[in-house]
Amino acid sequence: MKTVLLALISLTATTVIAADSPPVGATAPDFNLADTGGKTHSLSEYKGKYVVLEWFNPECPFVKKHYGSGNMQKLQGEYTGKGVVWLSIDSSAPGLEGNLTAEQAQKVMKDWNTKQTALLLDPEGKAGRAYNARNTPHMFVINPEGKIVYEGAIDSKATPNPADIPSSTNYVKAALDESMTGKSVSNSNTRPYGCSVKYK
Amino acid sequence: MNAIRRSVFLLWLPTWLALTAHAQLYQGRQLVHADALANVSAIVPGEPFLVGVRLKMEPRWHTYWKYPGDAGIPTDIKWQLPEGWRVGDIQWPIPLKLEEPGDILIYGYHDEVLLIQQVTPPKDLTGASANLSAKVSWLVCEKICIPGDGTVNLSLPVAQANSSANIDLFARFQKQLPTPPAADFSASWKGGAAGLVLRVSHPDLGKFSSVEFFPSPPENVAVGHPRLASRTGNVFTFDVPLDNANGKFKSLPGLLVFGSSNDAPDRSAWDISIGHQTAAANEKSTLSEMIHFLIFGFIGGFILNLMPCVLPVISLKIFGFIQQAGQSRARIFRSGLAFIAGIFVWFLGLALVLVIIKSAGGQPVWAAQFTNPYFVLAMSAVVLVFALNLFGVFEINLPQWLSRRAVAAESAHGNAGSFFQGVFATVLATPCTAPFLGTALGFAFTQSAIVILAIFASIALGMSLPYFLLSAQPAWLKFLPKPGPWMLRVKQLMGFLLIATLLFLLSVLGAQRGVAALIWTCAFLLVLSVACWLKGAFMTPIASARTRASVLLVILLLLIGSGYYFIGEKFQSASLAASPTASAGSGWEKFTPERLASELQQGRPVFIDFTAEWCITCKFNESTVLETAAVRGAFSEHQVVKLKADWTNGDPAITKLLKQFGRPGVPLYVLYPGGTAQPYVFPELLTKNIVLEKLETVNRNIASQ
Repeated sequence: MKTVLLALISLTATTVIAADSPPVGATAPDFNLADTGGKTHSLSEYKGKYVVLEWFNPECPFVKKHYGSGNMQKLQGEYTGKGVVWLSIDSSAPGLEGNLTAEQAQKVMKDWNTKQTALLLDPEGKAGRAYNARNTPHMFVINPEGKIVYEGAIDSKATPNPADIPSSTNYVKAALDESMTGKSVSNSNTRPYGCSVKYK
Repeated sequence: MNAIRRSVFLLWLPTWLALTAHAQLYQGRQLVHADALANVSAIVPGEPFLVGVRLKMEPRWHTYWKYPGDAGIPTDIKWQLPEGWRVGDIQWPIPLKLEEPGDILIYGYHDEVLLIQQVTPPKDLTGASANLSAKVSWLVCEKICIPGDGTVNLSLPVAQANSSANIDLFARFQKQLPTPPAADFSASWKGGAAGLVLRVSHPDLGKFSSVEFFPSPPENVAVGHPRLASRTGNVFTFDVPLDNANGKFKSLPGLLVFGSSNDAPDRSAWDISIGHQTAAANEKSTLSEMIHFLIFGFIGGFILNLMPCVLPVISLKIFGFIQQAGQSRARIFRSGLAFIAGIFVWFLGLALVLVIIKSAGGQPVWAAQFTNPYFVLAMSAVVLVFALNLFGVFEINLPQWLSRRAVAAESAHGNAGSFFQGVFATVLATPCTAPFLGTALGFAFTQSAIVILAIFASIALGMSLPYFLLSAQPAWLKFLPKPGPWMLRVKQLMGFLLIATLLFLLSVLGAQRGVAALIWTCAFLLVLSVACWLKGAFMTPIASARTRASVLLVILLLLIGSGYYFIGEKFQSASLAASPTASAGSGWEKFTPERLASELQQGRPVFIDFTAEWCITCKFNESTVLETAAVRGAFSEHQVVKLKADWTNGDPAITKLLKQFGRPGVPLYVLYPGGTAQPYVFPELLTKNIVLEKLETVNRNIASQ
């Protein structure tokens, strides 16, 4: 009886956890993922640096909004230039929209002239589920201590239209700028927008 | 624009253009067919009608609700209407809750959806026909998502009369619209471990196998998946995960969806967003706001002194100060403190009662005691007795029994008198919900017991401040006139003030119970007066014990007899008066929850005046603002339905709605701008400007959509 009860309690506990992303302020879950060249990256190896996680799906109109306009490349270039580690993660399962082989991924990076540190492939959705990444793009900013300081949308205008970019507030940029100058992030949790992550 | 960015942009431009122009085509199929329909055969100038944008989707593809959930974008409709036309908000049917792999939850529509809006053509519309068009953009998803847009057109003849059109289609989707909650519904929110906890109950809710909460959070607020935490009979609780570390949110707007299953066509939904406004106003519930409300409570308490129904008693007290001016300072101060203690005991006692009622799950309401005719009757009797006392018909020697026990007999006499005067002054103050006081109280009722007590204490403090100052600094009493024979005249004059207060109370009784009950009340009051006279004339301290005992017996017989006959029999059987204010004309109609629901369903703007016969602030607002020519004109110009919710008798349906707006009592003024737009709550003290301004803004809002 006691075990059944215990099992029930732990089950409820996990459902609650599963329904939400790790909260801002929590330690970012570690992961081990291969990039397009086969090299493995883990979050723990970047301890001491700012890390941006960007959920990615090259077929998603919302991702295309930010790459088609050059908005995402510009951000990546600007902050990797300042020593920030920028990891794009593709959690699309095989057979579903946005799933990439290493070669396809390399081609996308070349064609789009992307500027991230690495594009990581997560076809099992392990990292995606650990962060409860729900959208592409869904953004996380992690500070040198390994704590999440921002989680949510890339910017303030939830549309697929690139014409809205100039008039929107970029939350990732704001979070990085504030955090890197020692301030607390004023807008640390927003509602992410985009396509759903295509999990198995 | 730098070179790289330009080249990337150019690279993607054709793809983007292709997406927007042919978004609907996916693998040769058109995923969404959009068109527009009206519920009328022709447009009648000035007469509102409904238009619906219909989206037909390919099987398994979906478009989104106003809150899309974890992914997606709501459908957007921008009508391009000529000058003078107005269009209301989108009326969103109850969406389906759809789950995708990876615990992704979205709210949207399959197969077909009709997004209805109310359109009001100008009164001076001319021409044989009118063309309306709207730009519609949507995101349609299955395994993948594709944005799309299109222009829908609607062409209708203009005529002086019309008939219904597309009846089945509109009826089918109107049936799926959320409605305001039923009368017996109650909802409460509290902070939980990981967000908010919503508790709802309704006598019929237990019948449904599926009861769910669909949140529609403010823009850019991330909400987790609401989860049914418990269901016991008709009571359901939901955990709503939310980043709420700073306690920013007291509640969330959303729908309570119930039916035989979570996708059954018989599902219904209640929009439980009502009252969210008040909660939103309290979003920053910090210490500073607490202080803010305590200050309001203090000012409100002070203002209570100036209220017409308190003033006579205050004069009584000032009169007492004059009497005491010649006595020792310590004695005056003690007397003042006793008065203040009376004020505090009443307010804190009231607060305790409310805390107890609140914790017992009841619904405490401010001045609720005045909705009870027996309370008003008792108040009338007390006021009359005090008036007769001031006229000199009899002397009150009530505190004697107290004084006998007290060590210092004389001072105890004075202090006890002051204490009861303090209580009496505050009892009379309750119907005059001063403007600031209402705000502080509205806040208090949503708070914990300690906060309620603190706010009531600050009200008591505000009310007692003048007495504290006067009794601590009796020197200031010198500014008051010296005692003398004129005092007798003043005392009598004050008696007339109390009679005026009595008239006010009787007018309330008349409104509650009608003329017959009023007459029987007066008959009882007459007997009561005779009893007082008997006491004054024959129960003097010099009369023999025997005389006093027999007179007391006569008095008791008179009071019990008349009380039994006039009140127990006649007054009791007098039927409730028909609501007099509802039929008062000038475009006001009687409020019922059903009436409100049906007007809102039809998308009309509605203004509700929550009022009561005994509410002086309400009467003031009505005569100086609502019934002025300018405001009346504006109401009719904007075709606002004016409903009067008369709370004189404490109608439970009205109590409930007041509660939903977080208000413990009247007055309350609410404007529903039409369609599904959130209601606007006016401040308690209305001004012409604020009403006119709000009516204009609402109009502009509708016109700009």
